[in-house]
Amino acid sequence: MAPPQGQMRPGRQLAVLGLIFVILYLIVFLGGDGSLKNRLEPKLGLDLIGGSRVTYTATTTGGQAPQADQLEEARQIIESRANAYGVSEAEVVTEGDRNIVVSLAGKSDDALANLGQAAELRFRKVLKVTADSSGAVAATPTPSASGSATPTPSATASGSAAVSPSASASPGGQGGGVAATPTPTPSGSASASPSPSASATPVAPGTTLTREQIRAEVQKKVGAAAWAAASALQAPPDLSTDPTALTTLEAFGKLSPAEVDSLDPAMQFNVPTIGCAQLNLRQPGSIRDISKQAVACEGPEKMLLDVAKVEGTDVSDASGVLDQQGGGWVVSLDFTGSGQEKWTALTREAFNNEGGACDASALGDQGKCRVAVVLDNEIISSPEIQGVLTGDSQITGNFTSKTANELASKLRYGALPLTFTQSAVENVSATLGTEYLQAGLLAAGIGMLLVIVYAFFYYRLLGTVIFLSLILSGLLVFGALIVLGRQIGYTLNLAGISGFIVSLGVAADSFVIYFERLKDEIREGRSARSAVPRAWVRARRTIISANAITIMAAVVLYIVSVGTVKGFAFALGLATILDLVVVFLFRHPIMTMFARTRAFLSPRVSGLGRVLEKDTDTEPAKPRTPRVKEA
Amino acid sequence: MSGLATRLYKGQADLNIIGRRKIWFTVAAVAVVIALSSFLWRGFTLGIDFAGGNEFQVPASVGTLQHAEDTVAKALDEAPNPDGEELGVASAQQVGGGDGTYLIRTSELTPEQAAAVKADLVEAFGIPADEISNSAVSGSWGRQVTDRALLGLIIFIAVVMLYLVVRFEWRMAVAAVSSLFLDLIITAGVYSLVGFEITPSTVIGFLTILGFALYDVVVVFDKVQENTRGITASSTQTYTEAANLAVNQTLMRSINTGLVALLPVGGLLFIGAFLLGAGTLRDLGLVLFVGMGIAVYSSIFFATPVLATLKGYEPKYQAHSQRVLARRAAIARGDVTPKAPRSPKQPAERSEAEVAALAGAAPKVGARPTAKRPAANRSGRPGNRPSRGKRH
Repeated sequence: MAPPQGQMRPGRQLAVLGLIFVILYLIVFLGGDGSLKNRLEPKLGLDLIGGSRVTYTATTTGGQAPQADQLEEARQIIESRANAYGVSEAEVVTEGDRNIVVSLAGKSDDALANLGQAAELRFRKVLKVTADSSGAVAATPTPSASGSATPTPSATASGSAAVSPSASASPGGQGGGVAATPTPTPSGSASASPSPSASATPVAPGTTLTREQIRAEVQKKVGAAAWAAASALQAPPDLSTDPTALTTLEAFGKLSPAEVDSLDPAMQFNVPTIGCAQLNLRQPGSIRDISKQAVACEGPEKMLLDVAKVEGTDVSDASGVLDQQGGGWVVSLDFTGSGQEKWTALTREAFNNEGGACDASALGDQGKCRVAVVLDNEIISSPEIQGVLTGDSQITGNFTSKTANELASKLRYGALPLTFTQSAVENVSATLGTEYLQAGLLAAGIGMLLVIVYAFFYYRLLGTVIFLSLILSGLLVFGALIVLGRQIGYTLNLAGISGFIVSLGVAADSFVIYFERLKDEIREGRSARSAVPRAWVRARRTIISANAITIMAAVVLYIVSVGTVKGFAFALGLATILDLVVVFLFRHPIMTMFARTRAFLSPRVSGLGRVLEKDTDTEPAKPRTPRVKEA
Repeated sequence: MSGLATRLYKGQADLNIIGRRKIWFTVAAVAVVIALSSFLWRGFTLGIDFAGGNEFQVPASVGTLQHAEDTVAKALDEAPNPDGEELGVASAQQVGGGDGTYLIRTSELTPEQAAAVKADLVEAFGIPADEISNSAVSGSWGRQVTDRALLGLIIFIAVVMLYLVVRFEWRMAVAAVSSLFLDLIITAGVYSLVGFEITPSTVIGFLTILGFALYDVVVVFDKVQENTRGITASSTQTYTEAANLAVNQTLMRSINTGLVALLPVGGLLFIGAFLLGAGTLRDLGLVLFVGMGIAVYSSIFFATPVLATLKGYEPKYQAHSQRVLARRAAIARGDVTPKAPRSPKQPAERSEAEVAALAGAAPKVGARPTAKRPAANRSGRPGNRPSRGKRH
């Protein structure tokens, strides 16, 4: 008798499966390069082989996600920075709508932590300069927090040499260069932060109070008297003549960086108790607004800065070069077309001291105004302008090759269109990674073994079908991992292994659905031959609906989630889809063939006949099922 | 072979699950109340990722745990600390099998501080830097992961509701999703009561449970749908009874599924908790183990009872139930013979799909096989059953 519809030609389906295998493994063997072992290795995540990963999250003022093209631009900048720092082979990808993940498999490199650090570059004319006198009220003089951001052409020993980098030392060709006015060293002087930064929590995105609200809070916090005194200040009070100013304004020293940020620039500058420590810890991007004046520090000097007239995007290139005339290392600076115009205008303004007046305190040695290069919340350099610069410019100073290149790299790639905070860092040692890999594989092995033992225990010889299916699924998954690793860069991580382990249960479950169906059919008195296709047709529907749910869950998780969980979702979805392939192309045909054998219904063999042991002599439970009645 | 096990095996457990739904609803309500009050009084134990912090992992070969902890504490004291924030060791523990590693958690450090501590450790232990694993998470990262998970939850429920409404009907969708919420609340309750640590991996594990819980419910509902299709045509069975039968028929499958799903997850949990001691594997394993166990329970004892209750409000089924009961009473009185001919109404109530299936999709005996399989939605219908005259 011809087999009914839906189950014919098991051979053809098996052939299709075979073809899939052949093609998949042809790609595996022919597509890769290197030794055979290399070709058979899926791409492993750094938590399995060791390595570093840093996740940067873009912070925006409103808390909403940044634009996709900005994020992509930032990704490219971070990638080129990684190469510039010599961190080769680092993988820089965007994740979700606000994260950039930098990972380096196989080895750990702490330089990754600096890649997202530099934020926005601004060139602002220095209007006024005052010393950070907040330390006067503090008891402990710890060095200020300017940290790594300043190139600090250390002026300790070479005070005179560096402070007067004469025009001759900066042969920019077009009328003088830009001289870096190096910062006098803190030298243990009064530059301590009294700020109890325990309250220094940056305002959480999304839950932000407005600047005005924060300012109102501050007003209450410092008290009316101090607020009035601070508002009345036209300039930083001279502490030698007016020592009471410090005590009056003491409350300002206790403000959090976010609170300081809410104050007007003039007040930030004038109130002597607001220190550089507070200013430097302001949330990234606090002073990115180019149309507003800002206050920032360079070392222990607090500077009031003009609106930004040139931005980081105007810089086309910067490099550290050895000065031709023996002046040591300098940083040469190129601007883009429109950037050059802006830069020329800015240098003319600074050189001639036009426009917004630059205070006597802010003049350089040559009596010219300085222009501060502001990166994020700090000033990385504030050279005196020694001419109206119409072409290439140079920043001179007491640079070493390292500091010159660092500054150049910041200038070159400083123009991140977004500001980032480092939200997660992971350095996994190679030994630990190997342990994780072994543990993950062991967990997968144990899971598979348990399922197979259960299958043999419960379904007897049919367990073989489950066993073979799981092996086939495993091989398909393995091949897919290698191919996907090459094609779309999918890396298997620990979370991914968990995903595959969870999918084992899903895969085994589709058997349970099918076999229980089969038992139902046999219970109703059907022969194996007719029970198999009938059970298949019904189970197929259930299996598809149920797997659709798992796939939906995996897709939603994959799209929405961040972090390692993406790998988990991907693995779960992939394994579920491949399971469907195995269900259709292997299990169904094999069961059809199996049903043609005599042993199929033997209780000892399949465990299916057992349902008949008691029932065959009595009538097969007819009133129980509505279907029987309808027949 | 007899007893419950055998009856279960044969799909004839004959347990009155839906009839006793008041019990299950009470159980569910009590569990929800306990869970919710635990949220209020005990709250959750949040992992390092939510508060933010750093983690250093060194091989245990460097010496005693105390020594490792002291070294880190000393390094923290010496680390540059411009903003004067208190830095300290939050916890120190040995994790993993074999030699294992020491896991030392500290308060949140800046990249410079972390680098300084790492450098100090390299010096103190005399091991190369690449044998020290360190990680850092900021509090905002944990929040981001959680926000994302909640967003995922909302999207998933919306998508799945739509799918269930299309695939089944809205009452089943509502019943399935309410049982989903039950799973989530009770799982969260277990976490709150026992004080298991919640990490971003845990939060994501919750989402996976959703998939599994619904998967299970879909299988049961599929059977319910099959059993109750065209039920109003006959007067032998109420909807509740048919649904109860479906639960019984799938009971063994539910238990089997639960077992085969829990076995690998148990393996995952075992490895994650005992060999690795910490991390993604353990967090995922634990939440999946707890959640899946509850999902198996709720697919049997909650989803279908809710469905039966919802159906009970539908006039069509209310009338049908009354008819069935009235007919039973009549049989009991002896007014009607049990084998009454079909009511004349029946043909009218047969769905068109069934007729179509009968007409077209059912294979004729001896028909030549065609390459096409019958469409899934047709062939599964009861009406597709070939006539009795078919040869086996």
